[in-house]
Amino acid sequence: MKVLAAGVVPLLLVLHWKHGAGSPIPITPVNATCATRHPCHSNLMNQIRNQLLQLNSSANALFILYYTAQGEPFPNNLDKLCSPNVTDFPPFHANGTEKARLVELYRIIAYLGASLGNITRDQKVLNPNALSLHSKLNATVDVMRGLLSNVLCRLCSKYHVAHVDVAYGPDTSGKDVFQKKKLGCQLLGKYKQVIAVVAQAF
Amino acid sequence: MALFAAFQTSLLLALLSLRAYQSEVLAEPLPLTPESLNVSIDSAHQYLNLQWSVHSLAYYQELKMLFQIQISRMKTSNVIWVGNYSTVVKRDPVLHWSWKSELPLECATHFVRMRSRVDDAKIPEPRFWSNWSSWKEADAQKSLGRDPLFLFPKDKLVEEGSNVTICYISRNQQDNISCYLEGQQIHGEQLDSNVSAFKLNKVSFIRKTGTNIFCKVDQKDVIKGIVLFVSKVLEEPKDFSCETQDFKTLMCTWDPGTDTSLPKRSSQSYTLFESFSGKKILCEHKNSCNWQVDSDSQEMYNFTLMAENALGNRSVSVLFSLTHRVHPKTPYNLFLKNVSGTKATVTWKVHPIGNYSTLLCQLDLLGEGNVIQQHNVSIKENGEYLLSELEPDTEYMARVRCADANHFWKWSGSISQKFVTAEAAPSEALDVWRNVKSVSGHPTVTLFWKPLSKLHANGKILSYNVIVENLDRPSRLEVHSVPATANGTELTLDQYSYQIHVTALNSAGPSPASVIVVSGDPGNEEAEEERINGTEDGFSVSWKPQSRKAIGYVVEWCDHPQDLPCDLQWKNLSSNTTSTVISSGAFRPGVRYNFRIYEISTERMANLLEKKAGYLKELAPSDNPQVVVSNLTSHSFTLSWKDYSTDSQPGFIQGYYVYLRSKAEKECHPGFKKATLSDKSACCQHRIDNPEQKTFVMENLQPESVYEFLVTPYTSAGSGPVDTFTKVTTPDEYSHILIRIILPMIICVLLIMITCYLKSQWMKEKCYPDIPDPYKSNVLSLIKSKENPHLTIMNVSDCVPDAIEVIHKPEGSKIQFLGASKSLTETEFTKPAYLYLLPAEKNYSGPGPCICFENLTYNEAAADSGSCGHFPVTPQAPPSQPGPLTSPENLLKALEKNYMNSLGEIAAGEASVNYVSQLASQMSGDKDGLPTNPPEPVHCSEYKMQMAIPLGLASPPPAENSGLSSTTPLDQSEHYR
Repeated sequence: MKVLAAGVVPLLLVLHWKHGAGSPIPITPVNATCATRHPCHSNLMNQIRNQLLQLNSSANALFILYYTAQGEPFPNNLDKLCSPNVTDFPPFHANGTEKARLVELYRIIAYLGASLGNITRDQKVLNPNALSLHSKLNATVDVMRGLLSNVLCRLCSKYHVAHVDVAYGPDTSGKDVFQKKKLGCQLLGKYKQVIAVVAQAF
Repeated sequence: MALFAAFQTSLLLALLSLRAYQSEVLAEPLPLTPESLNVSIDSAHQYLNLQWSVHSLAYYQELKMLFQIQISRMKTSNVIWVGNYSTVVKRDPVLHWSWKSELPLECATHFVRMRSRVDDAKIPEPRFWSNWSSWKEADAQKSLGRDPLFLFPKDKLVEEGSNVTICYISRNQQDNISCYLEGQQIHGEQLDSNVSAFKLNKVSFIRKTGTNIFCKVDQKDVIKGIVLFVSKVLEEPKDFSCETQDFKTLMCTWDPGTDTSLPKRSSQSYTLFESFSGKKILCEHKNSCNWQVDSDSQEMYNFTLMAENALGNRSVSVLFSLTHRVHPKTPYNLFLKNVSGTKATVTWKVHPIGNYSTLLCQLDLLGEGNVIQQHNVSIKENGEYLLSELEPDTEYMARVRCADANHFWKWSGSISQKFVTAEAAPSEALDVWRNVKSVSGHPTVTLFWKPLSKLHANGKILSYNVIVENLDRPSRLEVHSVPATANGTELTLDQYSYQIHVTALNSAGPSPASVIVVSGDPGNEEAEEERINGTEDGFSVSWKPQSRKAIGYVVEWCDHPQDLPCDLQWKNLSSNTTSTVISSGAFRPGVRYNFRIYEISTERMANLLEKKAGYLKELAPSDNPQVVVSNLTSHSFTLSWKDYSTDSQPGFIQGYYVYLRSKAEKECHPGFKKATLSDKSACCQHRIDNPEQKTFVMENLQPESVYEFLVTPYTSAGSGPVDTFTKVTTPDEYSHILIRIILPMIICVLLIMITCYLKSQWMKEKCYPDIPDPYKSNVLSLIKSKENPHLTIMNVSDCVPDAIEVIHKPEGSKIQFLGASKSLTETEFTKPAYLYLLPAEKNYSGPGPCICFENLTYNEAAADSGSCGHFPVTPQAPPSQPGPLTSPENLLKALEKNYMNSLGEIAAGEASVNYVSQLASQMSGDKDGLPTNPPEPVHCSEYKMQMAIPLGLASPPPAENSGLSSTTPLDQSEHYR
């Protein structure tokens, strides 16, 4: 049973990374059993804080790299093209309990991870020579992956939460190129804004 | 039978009725109006897709039909396109046709209708159009949504240079919308109140990632954009060709040209199609494709290469015979064997091409990168060739490549191998020359030789052998070995003739000997020097043969005559040559080159024939001589520049210009002419045409005047710099006289002064002794001899001394009186004692103390006279005391003696004796009254010891008239201290 439970979590994680796909996963009931494949780090919250700080410190540079690579009119019309009005972005309440904040953080990181995956995929096609942007996107996605694991570990080990409902952003694969650029820019603008609040909350 | 007839009749009737029906059907127009016309929009490709059907084809399986299509935009009456579409319609068909819109279909409503006509030969004329179908509308705007602004087409892909139309749809007519391409605003045409279109003509490729085109609504946060992808033009493949190396595979290659790939759009693909076999393959690479040759049966191939991308395709074809496209593989196993000094054997192998093919191989022999030999060899599989006429000790490279011998197509790749031939003895004698000079009386021969060229050295020169043979005294041969790095050697010989053999040695042996004969006696090596002119090609040197026995000539010169060593050069010339051109890259303008022409006798001895000197190009002198001014007088001076060497100048010195200028003189002297200098100043110029005249006298000058002069040489190229003048000031006319007189005088005076100083004591004694002897005075003798021989000296007795003042300082002073037992201090001589030598006429009271003076300088015969009166005198003796002092002579002697001894015994400054003459010379101003008698030697002139003597012992005073008339040598007012 333990083996089965241990295999479910990574499987769900893999499902989370499917770009633009997936369905909300319900929160595990509090009394449900929760187990992780590897033991959680002893100083987990500190690691989460550091990862949030790391993301926060690089978010603005990533944003600048992105809109610069898209060409005009993006750099000179950030308010019109890159405004962080992402309607379905998961909410975050900084004054909630740690459990609630962790659950909201999990949703946000899951949403961002999927969206950044889409952006990375698109930019490799649309701007194949923007290597620094690709590198920054990959690094951010990597940190998010670790952060997501740590948050889940914390939720599981302390609050016995093994499953969290998550939602993902719109799939951009069918959009036209300009729209892809715009959606990516908006998402990164939102990311820059949200990650600052989240990092502050932890 | 009746049944058969009835059947036949009914059959005929049936056929007739069928024929009648067919005639009726085909005679009327077929009602083939298009039905069920449906219009849809393909936004991705901007196609208007039409779908319809045609019914009433019951009698025909298929029928060729023509459809006429009308397309209107915005409204039905605005027909923008009419065209025909011909196709074969089968029974119960659904037909499709597409129309590509230049304007994005989303930006305008389109209307379509069509009609048809049978266009089949089966249907006889006339043929009529059907009725038009009803208009069908295609409106994409209905499904756009509620956004305030839309921009189309999205992600359009076009080829560079094509035209593109974009459009926007605005929901609000009041909005002011501006659109931009690459930051530049673009202006379009308004199609209706909400739609505007922009036509971009001949769009250019900017970047692979596309070009953002965006429109924004002013004063609203609305920006909509699209990305336009412009690809490079797909080019036709270039240099398309196919070849085989083994008759198994055909390798087709081409130059693909520009890559047309874009994001999400792959680059062009290539397809190879062979028409004879009908085979087609998709090539894996962009520039090559392998085609498998199935069998030997197919000889001819017709390939078509098609390049294709999303926007179109380009193709190119080639037709060839397989045997004409053989490209052999690169040969292998190339080896050199049996390499000698002049020959080598080359072997190699090739990959066989079929059983019957022969290869033509090209063997190149390269030396220093150049092809020296080229040989063609036909082989099947193994090749071999003997290379000859090679140079010893030379690096070569053998290179082999092959091609089909029957039908040349291409050379194979090359294989090469380097090799070095063996060494051989040097093939030529050294070019040797000599320079004979005398060092410390011994003739010293310096041999020079030019290194053998690589062609003649035939290997690495290891050393040079110099063999010296005495021709006059057969003796042992002297052998000198000179290292290979040297280009000469020096030999010290004696006065005999020597034959010198020089050879170069390498590992294979010596070179032929170069022989030169040198005489220990250089003989007359002088010849008159001639001048020659250089040209751009060098110096043309010619000479006159002196003897018919010459076997050749040598012209010798130095490439750098101003350096040491001067880089001796020589040129050998045959005996029938009497002129040559000497050229050298080292020759420079303004340098004097000296050429010596030697005649080589049959004994191989060199004799100087002629000397030449010349300049490649004469230059003007760069320096002026150092001029020395001499013989400066008030009217002339001499300029000389004898140290100036005319041989080391940048041209043949032809003479000199002497410039003279003076502020005092405006006119030029004779021989000078006026000249203007570069600074516009005027001066006088004199020209000296003789280069050996190195002195010049400036004459007719003004005394006490400043002159400036300059001497500059000139050559055929010009004169030296006229810049720095030297000033000379002529002295006044009398200065030389003054110098001639005053200078000797000053010297004489100085000599006299020096002599006087050195002989001061002697002079003093001679000229002004402390106590002069009138009788020994030269003046007296002079007077006597020249003026008045009767003049005489005044006798002492003639004068009347009156007093002697003895000044004595009381403290510690001692006045010793010789012969007295008491000093003056002891005798209470505390006050100046006045010895009244002669009593005053009133106070003289008889004999008193007497003082005896002894003057040691007067020790002549007078001492023998014994007339010296010794009379003591006491200090206390009043001046009025009479005594022997009445004799003036004795008195003077006594006084003098006392004075001298006092000087000897009284410290200077402590005591003194003053003579106070109270004589009033009676002869003063009366020279005529001088006595004419000579001095009387009888009087005592010797002074003895000073002593005080009683007055009684003093001799009686002389006669009254004895001294008053004499002349005294002492000045009356002079004091002695």
